[in-house]
Amino acid sequence: MPKIIIDSIPIDVPQGTNVLEAARSIGITIPHFCWHPALGKAGACRACAVKMLDGPIRGIQMSCMLPAQDGMVVSTTDDEAVAMRRAVIEWLMINHPHDCPVCDEGGECQLQDFTIAGGHGIRRFDGLKRTHVNQYLGDCIEHEMNRCIQCYRCVRFYQEYAGGTDFGVMGRSGMVYFGRQQDGPLESPFSGNLAEICPTGVFTVKTARFRARYWDYDMAPSICPGCSLGCNTVPMARYRELLKVTARRNDAVNGWFICDRGRFSNTPVNAANRPRQPQIDGEAVSMEAALNALRERLTDFTARHGSSALAIVGSPRMSQEAAIMAARLRDVTGAGYLCYSYDPETAQATAEAVALLNKDNAASQENVRQADLIALLACDPLNEAPMMALAIRQAWRNGAKVYHVAEKPVCNALHQLYETVYVSSIGEIPFKEAHAPVLVCGTNRKGLDLVRPVMNEGIKTAFIMDGPNSFGTSLLARELGAVSFGEALTSGKIKGIIALEADLPSDLPPELSVLAAADWLRTPLIELAGIVLPVTSWVEMDGIFINNEGRAQSFKQVMKSGLPIKGLTPEQHPPRIHRHDPPGGDMPPSWKMVSALVQLLGGNQDDDTSFRDQWREFETPDAAHNRIMSYERNPKQ
Amino acid sequence: MEQILLKHTHTGQCLSFDEYRSVGGFDALATALREMTPVEVQQQVIDSGLRGRGGAGFPTGKKWSFVPRDLPGPRYLICNSDEMEPGTYKDRVLLERNPHILVEGMALACYALGVHHAFIFVRHGYEQAAINLRAAIAAAHRSGFLGDNILGSDFSLELDVHQSAGRYICGEETALINALEGKRANPRVKPPFPAIKGLWEQPTVVNNVETLANIPAIITGGPLWWKGTAATPEAAGTKLFCVSGHVANTECFELPLGITLGEIIDGPCGGMRPGSSFKACIPGGASTPYMTGAHRDVPMDFDPVAKAGSRLGTGGIIVFDHTTCMVAATLNLTRFYVRESCGWCTPCREGLPFVAHTLERIETGRGTDRDIEILREHVKMLNYAFCALAPGAMGPVEGLLRLFGDELEAHVSGKKCPFGK
Repeated sequence: MPKIIIDSIPIDVPQGTNVLEAARSIGITIPHFCWHPALGKAGACRACAVKMLDGPIRGIQMSCMLPAQDGMVVSTTDDEAVAMRRAVIEWLMINHPHDCPVCDEGGECQLQDFTIAGGHGIRRFDGLKRTHVNQYLGDCIEHEMNRCIQCYRCVRFYQEYAGGTDFGVMGRSGMVYFGRQQDGPLESPFSGNLAEICPTGVFTVKTARFRARYWDYDMAPSICPGCSLGCNTVPMARYRELLKVTARRNDAVNGWFICDRGRFSNTPVNAANRPRQPQIDGEAVSMEAALNALRERLTDFTARHGSSALAIVGSPRMSQEAAIMAARLRDVTGAGYLCYSYDPETAQATAEAVALLNKDNAASQENVRQADLIALLACDPLNEAPMMALAIRQAWRNGAKVYHVAEKPVCNALHQLYETVYVSSIGEIPFKEAHAPVLVCGTNRKGLDLVRPVMNEGIKTAFIMDGPNSFGTSLLARELGAVSFGEALTSGKIKGIIALEADLPSDLPPELSVLAAADWLRTPLIELAGIVLPVTSWVEMDGIFINNEGRAQSFKQVMKSGLPIKGLTPEQHPPRIHRHDPPGGDMPPSWKMVSALVQLLGGNQDDDTSFRDQWREFETPDAAHNRIMSYERNPKQ
Repeated sequence: MEQILLKHTHTGQCLSFDEYRSVGGFDALATALREMTPVEVQQQVIDSGLRGRGGAGFPTGKKWSFVPRDLPGPRYLICNSDEMEPGTYKDRVLLERNPHILVEGMALACYALGVHHAFIFVRHGYEQAAINLRAAIAAAHRSGFLGDNILGSDFSLELDVHQSAGRYICGEETALINALEGKRANPRVKPPFPAIKGLWEQPTVVNNVETLANIPAIITGGPLWWKGTAATPEAAGTKLFCVSGHVANTECFELPLGITLGEIIDGPCGGMRPGSSFKACIPGGASTPYMTGAHRDVPMDFDPVAKAGSRLGTGGIIVFDHTTCMVAATLNLTRFYVRESCGWCTPCREGLPFVAHTLERIETGRGTDRDIEILREHVKMLNYAFCALAPGAMGPVEGLLRLFGDELEAHVSGKKCPFGK
């Protein structure tokens, strides 16, 4: 633990911490551009100059390049250091356009902040600014090379961290260019991170272009619903339109980044054809009327087929709260079946995986990144859970061997994130030689057959499951006796279903009637349902997903539900009558909708508080459910 | 005056392998393989006081001693023949006249360092040098001086010639290593130094052509004799001085290290051109500060030139006569560095164009006192760049401010170039 003194403040820092990080740890932010916690040092921008007053190294030094050593006395306020930092900003501003007022990065721009911090104000260079031609980089990322300050973060992320090959640095001296050989969409499935990693406005997100300033956004800590990994995000919305999703740092889970699938997930939330209006047989009605009608139809259904012919069907994409309420609905209706999944094999495999996992053997993404041996079993991480592939790449970059149990190589030539050794049986993988081996396993029959004997030896395992709450719904399924819908269907007894955010194929048996479908996506079931119950998407409500490792993570409401202002006709906006809810915003979260229905059907008085009480049990790990490894209720943003 | 490197090359033709053999070529290698251990070869180089001829003047034997001897795995020697310093053409002359001496020198260095695969990184455009080297390597192979079990010993060596794609920064040893690996030629972070982690992460020594070419003579003649070929007791060996500019003879001369600047100009250079008088010179390639008439008695050796406020550098002397505008000369040099910056770090990429722009303002009569202040700031701040390119580029600017302040003032106060340029 080196002891160093920064601006007269003595601190102890862990071995290997650089002076810049050490200063940050006591709240002194030294301007920096090229250094990034996930990418490390580069020494390119020279903005983090400090003066070393005493110790093994003296004089002006770049604080990002200097590991803290005993006896160092650092001044960040020394005149010479301040002059150097000011000079760096002056150099950068020689060519950086003065377009902050029309730049999307304005307000969330590191260069703006550090220019002000650096103290450079008066322009002395009276020559022309350097200009570049921008490229078309696809429909997601906007390219504005004139703003570039050549910190090399983008290329270090794109090529080194994420293994992309179609984007790089070209040219030399004052004409360094960051782009592709020719115009075209960025190929890396992690390209969206460029917008976040760029300290200024070279890369901005097209979906949010010219739509809002940072302080205009509605935002809240959230969880990505794209796959089972539970990457932490901050969705950003304005005027009821989800404009972009950004990564939220969580060192145990996604680190600093998210994949493009999770990032550019705003389209369905803003979709014009999203179900927003409760309907009975195509007729627009109020939510209350729809629920009353459903009660009547249920009575009718029970009289004709008996309540056991009813199935309550959910899915692994529903929040844990909604999944619990689905079970209550089953109880109060006396439905014969409760389903949280469709495919029997996946349901069975997920149940087994959840049973195998415990606090000691569940591997987080961080465990994968730190692994020295990784075995891939019956999975394709890049397609099923891209961030898992990125985590594997980090381990591989640090020297980990990656084995894949497969008959013949599964190869995606475009995105080879790591070198893989193909083995025909799991016995060929030298687990014994590794200090921190991790298994990454698909949740399917083959994967579970392979993983079971090895997991018994205590090797950490990450399962790739099929939905953001696969783990949570699978836990409930076991406890509450839910079965997969496929399995329930084979009994031949089901005559009707109530679908709650369910993903079922549209070719359901003809004798099956969809009494009601609650969803925020326009699924095939919405078209089939007698009663349509629109509910909120994950950005419009609070809730909990339990990710693939059993980490319960809460997500917060980002924005109010309702039609985005963009696209409203003059009749709809500006509003001419006073109303509490925005147009198209008359929708509850699905758990709340089900709760109301349960009450209507004579169930318990489930209000918010009693429902939340039930959640207390999740707050201590290893409580009643014994499988939830941790619960992050109040994520820090 | 003793000649070591150019001794047998006065025909102007490239020495053939047989000619080189007939004047004792490869005897040093044979002697070393037969009679000396690698450590003894290294010790001779240390004793000789040989300092790197590429510009920095770092003691060669000391550089070699940084390579860990007991580490498993390969290690590499790279001959830096990326001679791109303006005013410097000594390596070219050597390679075009006697490439064999480099092959032998490299073989000796590899023997001393335990290297079995070495590379010669040749500047883009040095076509003849590359042709000569390939022929010399092939000839040495045929005669058993390269390849497996050289001269029956258990020492084996392969030499490869790599022709650069052509950028000044490739002369920086870590950028050179990146270029050789097929990467972008940006300098690397030091530490780790190449001696610990260089080419393909293995211990690597990077030496200049002239440095390596001196080693056979050190082995044959002994370190003390070799050291004694210099003009002063402090200096060691001879040096190739390649002169350009306003002197009568612009040529590459092999002269004793420590000979004075005046002796070079009045001696082999044959004085200034008719009608010209000496105003200043760059002593060792474009990144060294100017020397003036006041420095004529400075011995041209690393330490005395440093004491005189400049650097010996590569020995590429560019002489300016009384008609030269030093602001214009400096601007010309600075433009070269502006173009050749690799673009990695801010001071070099953005600071150098600022300097060039400011010099241009002054040269074209638009300069003010503030512009001179800007130059002063940059001389200081560009020292904090990532590699030595930007500080080197500021050598002439620093010299301009220190030695030709009155000329700068004249540009500013007269609002035009006093030389009518």
